[in-house]
Amino acid sequence: MPRAIRGVLIQCEPAIKSIIVHLDSVNNDIIIEDLDEQTLVVKENMVQLLKQKLEDRLKETYRPEEPLADSD
Amino acid sequence: MSLGGQQLLEYLEKLPGTAFRRLYQSPATALAIFRRMLSYHAKVIVRGLLYMPDPFPLTSLDIWFPPEGGGKIHRDRTIAALRSLHILQVSPPSKDRTQEIQITASFKKGLQLAFEGGGEDGSFGVPSSLPVDPSIDIAYLDRYARKKWDDILHYVVNSLGVHGSSEGVSGPKASVKELLLAGRLVERRPDTRTGIGITQAGFTFLLQESNAQVWTLLLLWLEAADHTADSGMDSIDMLSFLFMLSSLELGTAYDTSALTETRRNMLPSLVDFGLIYFPRDTRQFFPTRLATTLTSTASALRTVSSAFTAATANPSGEPGTTTSTSGGPAATPDKTQTAAKGIIIETNYRIYAYTTSPLQIAVLALFCQLNMRFPNMVSGRLTRDSIRQAIGFGITADQIISYLHAHAHQQMVREATVTGKPVLPPTVVDQIRLWQLENERMQTTAGFLFKDFESTEEYAALSRYAEEIGVLVWKNDKRQLFFASKHEQLRDYLKSRKKGE
Repeated sequence: MPRAIRGVLIQCEPAIKSIIVHLDSVNNDIIIEDLDEQTLVVKENMVQLLKQKLEDRLKETYRPEEPLADSD
Repeated sequence: MSLGGQQLLEYLEKLPGTAFRRLYQSPATALAIFRRMLSYHAKVIVRGLLYMPDPFPLTSLDIWFPPEGGGKIHRDRTIAALRSLHILQVSPPSKDRTQEIQITASFKKGLQLAFEGGGEDGSFGVPSSLPVDPSIDIAYLDRYARKKWDDILHYVVNSLGVHGSSEGVSGPKASVKELLLAGRLVERRPDTRTGIGITQAGFTFLLQESNAQVWTLLLLWLEAADHTADSGMDSIDMLSFLFMLSSLELGTAYDTSALTETRRNMLPSLVDFGLIYFPRDTRQFFPTRLATTLTSTASALRTVSSAFTAATANPSGEPGTTTSTSGGPAATPDKTQTAAKGIIIETNYRIYAYTTSPLQIAVLALFCQLNMRFPNMVSGRLTRDSIRQAIGFGITADQIISYLHAHAHQQMVREATVTGKPVLPPTVVDQIRLWQLENERMQTTAGFLFKDFESTEEYAALSRYAEEIGVLVWKNDKRQLFFASKHEQLRDYLKSRKKGE
């Protein structure tokens, strides 16, 4: 009998996936199954936290846009 | 299918088979499900099989699904949808017999009764024989339902902490407030003026059309009844009652004494939602438009954009007209709607909104960075951050665009008609969409990972079946893994496959 494991499938760019793998390497509490370089299955209850952590990580690389001078 | 129907479908799919058998005992429910929840092809199948005495060979269905329309996959998805609602039975595959399909006995009986008008009395309501107060006409009921529903919307929106526009609003009953809290459309926040704050789900709720809103609230109500078993409420009976209400006629009085006691006990809650009007000291009740359109696809009460208009409208203004888009030819454009149409958006992402309504300003503040406020207008800008914030609230780019489109200033609309260009600057529209995409770096799908197959054949058969019924999300043939969004039917398939061997 095959097994069915509840989880959330994540499809993303390889770069994002490598960040997720890196986040998981701390406690190994996120990833259920690493499928391929763009796909993995994670625990359902970790998705929100994962999104949050990913956002934090990406913020480091994001340059805020220059506020336009309001000329009116 | 509309959003409201989608939510209902998800709720129904979770119910056990016994619940369906009980639901289909009522012809009104069978008819409502048939009318509202089925696709065109599903209806064709049900109509074709309804009066067929014997099971029908599955392969003979193929003539209804020509290859150019998707063929077999389309057929299998339609059948899967019908099976998930316990309308269709499919015999298990075996080597010596062809697969056969038939309508389940309970649904067949229910729908036949609905079509033939038989069965027990009162499944479609019993009109009251008592004299009816002539002042209760359709316009009155519409006004009543809208007031009740707007009270609920106001409660959700006022939790934004905006002053003004709340005078004269009594607010919904405590039970409705609890429901909104339990459903996490609003949450307790001690730091706000009213003590509660709107949640992400609440924003999405506000932007829905009202039919979807009503279903959202009703499903919360059903779930609440499930959780408190001692309340004497039975969610299947409640659902059945809602389907019955949806089959009633607007403007007609119905007899409450024809209802069972448990259903009579539901009336006060339905009054709180504005689904029915229940005059004091009578044995009559009137379904309102909110109830009678529950399962019809044709007349959504109002669109996304006018939902806000309605929420921002002064409740004391313009009696007699409804903001409903389905109000028929009698519905005249009311003042509040035109007053809200004053948003100018420039190609440099600047926004000028001619409005004085604190609520509309609050709505704009959800996705704009507002800079200045004048007596009759506010100005601001769409920025990457403001759009991201809105998306964080659960508002989609399309919702923002359709809101801006619906509320565009007349001058923009006129200009667009003269020059033949779109109303909103395409650069801005594209950018809003791009900002949303940027936020969706990963696509998530909840479901089940299937692994550890015994044989390649087992993997091949199950993954093919998953694809046929439309639940396959991802697969890898090499590693023999696949991901499906649902597992119930796959499990049944595996079992029947095991038996067939």
